[in-house]
Amino acid sequence: MNMIKQCNSSKLEPLIRVENLSFDYDNLKNPLISDISFSIDHGETVLLMGGSGSGKSTISLCLNGLYPDAVEGFSSGEIYFKGKQTTEFNKGELNQQIGVVFQDPESQFCMITVEDELAFTLENLKTPREEIGLRITKVLEEVGLSDYRNHKIHELSGGQKQKVALASALIQQPSLLILDEPTANLDPVSSIEFITLIRRLKEQHHIAVLIIEHQADDWLALINRVLVLGKNGDIIANGTSEQVFNDQRERLIQEGIFIPKVFMKAKKYITKSCEEISSSTKPCLTVKDLTFKRKGDVILNKVNLSLYEGEFVAITGENGAGKSTLLQLMSGILKPSQGKIEFLGQSFTKWKEQQLRKQMGFVFQNPEHQFITDTVFDEVAFGMTLNNYGEELTSQRTNDLLKHFQLSELKWRNPFSLSGGQKRRLSVATMLDETPDLLLFDEPTFGQDAQTTEELMFFIKHLQEQGTTIVFVTHDMDLVDTYCERVFVLNNQKIKFEGSPSELWEQTQTLKEARLRLPYRIRHQKKAGEPYDFVY
Amino acid sequence: MISSINPSVKAGAILIPGVLLGLMFDIFTPLIYLIFIIIVTFAFSHISIKKWLLIFSPFVLLALGFAWMRMLYTSEAFDSGPVLIQFWHIEITKGAMEVAASLALRSLCFVALSLLFVLTTDSTKFMLSLMQQCKLSPKLTYGVLAGYRFLPTFKHELDVLRQAHRIRGVGRAKGIRGRIQQFRRYSIPLLANAIRKAERVAIAMESKGFTGERERTHYHEMKVTKRDWYFFGTLVGTFFLVVFLSYSLGFLNIFGKDIN
Repeated sequence: MNMIKQCNSSKLEPLIRVENLSFDYDNLKNPLISDISFSIDHGETVLLMGGSGSGKSTISLCLNGLYPDAVEGFSSGEIYFKGKQTTEFNKGELNQQIGVVFQDPESQFCMITVEDELAFTLENLKTPREEIGLRITKVLEEVGLSDYRNHKIHELSGGQKQKVALASALIQQPSLLILDEPTANLDPVSSIEFITLIRRLKEQHHIAVLIIEHQADDWLALINRVLVLGKNGDIIANGTSEQVFNDQRERLIQEGIFIPKVFMKAKKYITKSCEEISSSTKPCLTVKDLTFKRKGDVILNKVNLSLYEGEFVAITGENGAGKSTLLQLMSGILKPSQGKIEFLGQSFTKWKEQQLRKQMGFVFQNPEHQFITDTVFDEVAFGMTLNNYGEELTSQRTNDLLKHFQLSELKWRNPFSLSGGQKRRLSVATMLDETPDLLLFDEPTFGQDAQTTEELMFFIKHLQEQGTTIVFVTHDMDLVDTYCERVFVLNNQKIKFEGSPSELWEQTQTLKEARLRLPYRIRHQKKAGEPYDFVY
Repeated sequence: MISSINPSVKAGAILIPGVLLGLMFDIFTPLIYLIFIIIVTFAFSHISIKKWLLIFSPFVLLALGFAWMRMLYTSEAFDSGPVLIQFWHIEITKGAMEVAASLALRSLCFVALSLLFVLTTDSTKFMLSLMQQCKLSPKLTYGVLAGYRFLPTFKHELDVLRQAHRIRGVGRAKGIRGRIQQFRRYSIPLLANAIRKAERVAIAMESKGFTGERERTHYHEMKVTKRDWYFFGTLVGTFFLVVFLSYSLGFLNIFGKDIN
């Protein structure tokens, strides 16, 4: 006790100190966050990791004093900011000291233009009018958005939006910056640009940073310390990245945490697991001279491609290149402006909708969009009932599918109440009332933790072995490198590259234009012995 | 130009004649005022005639519809004067015709006034002005602004949802029961997402130090200048001038009572 009192008055007091914090939305009997203690020093950079739903974001909102009030949750324990308990701060006062950048670029702004959004923050702090303009100019220069001052936020790219979010956090001149999965929705190159920006800012300002992330790889160079939150809501690791990822690797893998690839000894990222190209030459789907326009803008221009039976293909390209549109056209839910698509040797125009849906599946980026019934069981049975399978067959096949996807115990739950990974598995299961010939996926691994991604890939590989053609729209080049046999790169309305992943890794120019990044395996090979290049 | 008039003053300048016009049951008053509004619209703003007509013309049809119904079902108080048209069981008197025409013109006046406001006012400035001039709570005004940003995303989401359900074969649901169920299916995920997003924005705003208290500085100061009052005076003054003119000419009819 005496020690603590002494620390309070000296400079040894950390910037933020959390003591025995517990938090839950309902009651504290079995709390989401359970009795955790840690501290962050002035100017320190700390990485906070944990599986999906482990309460990482909740901690960040407890730190800046918004929780438990904002959600009517329950908490116990103390948080000290610069030696003063957070509950003693006036409303809004603590937020000035702690800036936050959130994950979703779409829902963290309330104004239309960049300038107004930044002014909003300063107005909240009652900054005099004359000063506001100057501070906006300065912060925009720092994040490199000076030319966008009067632009509308919703017209900016995802990467630019996150920079605006960063600017509006920095403009308050906080002593702690919390980054809550800031790059989760960005394409690979934008994400690296953001991280580089943070690194540069760290060099200029003495500011503490708390980073919440699933995938730590790119942040490692910045990080002083790693904290890992376990499934039970307690801290299971606290130390330097070497200590945490080397010494406790097994434990972390069990918890579903992505181990940075530098620390992985497993072969899969160093050597390629599947190089054999599917020998089938029977086309599954052919796209001929496909053009698609939306409101007069050409999105796709004379695209040609063929998919063969049983192969695993990726479509990739930068955000807004038209990848998802191409996938929607391939599934027949969008009609091409010009051109023709043939599925199993028959033009789309000749297919009956019901038959088409039976032989082709499509898994959307957000699984919730596809849910239509009230229980997990009905959800899987829905397609079979529609196709008149008969009660017995339906119930048997549904139960088999639920078992296969490890959902049997959740049979009578509402689909919306499942966890992220369970929702994803269910959305795949609903497409499989008959083994489809073609299964299309729109960014299936987006924002998922290591365990969920691995499970999903296991099921998909299994389907491919049964002869289903798999198409992924993805940014994740490690995924492409590990699983795909062929890859298409979309850029400027056209397919700029078609071939095996290993051929793509040679095309530096194509990768650069499409804002893609080499997978870890290749970076590792190329840079063996050389200093680690941050961008390419 | 009208776009630079203080939005709160502008709102007042449009609301006052708008409400008072509702009491004018003759043809002359709304007709003259409508002409005046249209002149003001094109003389003092950059609205293109084509765009204005595109929005205005559907309302003309609507106004004619109102007038038609009014003409056929005129209340007895106005159903006076000689019969002008007679067919089948219907008799249309001079009084009915006048009331109907007046109603149509009044409706068009409202539309023209509304367009004058909507097409020349920036939503952000309007909210800022409501806060600074009318002392409205920042909680309300910033809430409206944040919601305004969501409208386009909402539509996009509905489109995605439709496609996702079509993939599952839901498009085949038919009949009223099917439709109701479809509505339910759309509304749950849409609402769930809307609430989630609203929560995120609220948290983000609070993280930026927003507390909802009225005491805050304003980067864009919304001032009320003489020009704003000239505008207000012109719109409201002209209204009374028109009323006076129609009184002098003996046309004025307030709420069914001829004022002479």
